[in-house]
Amino acid sequence: MKLDPAIRDQVLAAVPSLRAFAISLCGNIDRADDLVQETLLRALAHIDSFQPGTNMPAWLFTILRNLFRSEYRKRRREVEDADGRYAETLKSHPEQTGRVEFEEFRAALAKLPSDQREALILVGASGFSYEDAAGICGCAVGTIKSRVNRARTRLADLLAIDNVDDFGPDRATRAVLAGGGRN
Amino acid sequence: MGGRGNMKAGKTADVQPPVPDADAEARDAMGRPVSHRKTEVRLGREVQAQIGQQLRAMYDAVVKEGVPQHINDLVRRLSEQDDGAA
Repeated sequence: MKLDPAIRDQVLAAVPSLRAFAISLCGNIDRADDLVQETLLRALAHIDSFQPGTNMPAWLFTILRNLFRSEYRKRRREVEDADGRYAETLKSHPEQTGRVEFEEFRAALAKLPSDQREALILVGASGFSYEDAAGICGCAVGTIKSRVNRARTRLADLLAIDNVDDFGPDRATRAVLAGGGRN
Repeated sequence: MGGRGNMKAGKTADVQPPVPDADAEARDAMGRPVSHRKTEVRLGREVQAQIGQQLRAMYDAVVKEGVPQHINDLVRRLSEQDDGAA
């Protein structure tokens, strides 16, 4: 049987956000697009396990995250040096905020532990509820809340330090040093 | 580990009640660690708003790119196939 066009459209509608999430995980557009593609192949092959009327984006995000995690375990080393590349990703985009500010923000975000970063993005950018985010990450709602909170705190630390200092190329370096002394 | 406070052997032997661990002491009325509460307070609204805004700006920049053509083609092609696709 063919896929219900309504379901297909739900899948397609989730793709832009799914990509944004994938890029935030991978720190690399090409790998993110591979990951999205693999996610969709898997999702469509198992579309019977999706219950119509439930949250399609959450279902797809869960699959993508699981794929990423299993790949991440294999390639941990490679992913860990993604921070630098992450800051280079999407360089053409910062329009809404000052460019320097935007770069600083991404650099700070890249310094978060991956579980905190992912929780913050799911709740703060993808717009999932804490409950959905917990479902996607396979953990308790309280855990998601705590990760989001820690992520915000850590980012605020990194960014607040920037506010104290004047603008300069080594702000990120100082942020690392200062941030490392906390918590 | 058998940690019965022997590390702190300076005090009179075992009479001490078990020392509540640091975590237990540092809970607020809601049962949350005080360190969290402090940082919540420390997080100014302005900083939070800035974080939220930049996070969404970064994310939405990708979202605005929409569905890449090759992904669109892939999904449409697969959705026309029999479910032997797996």
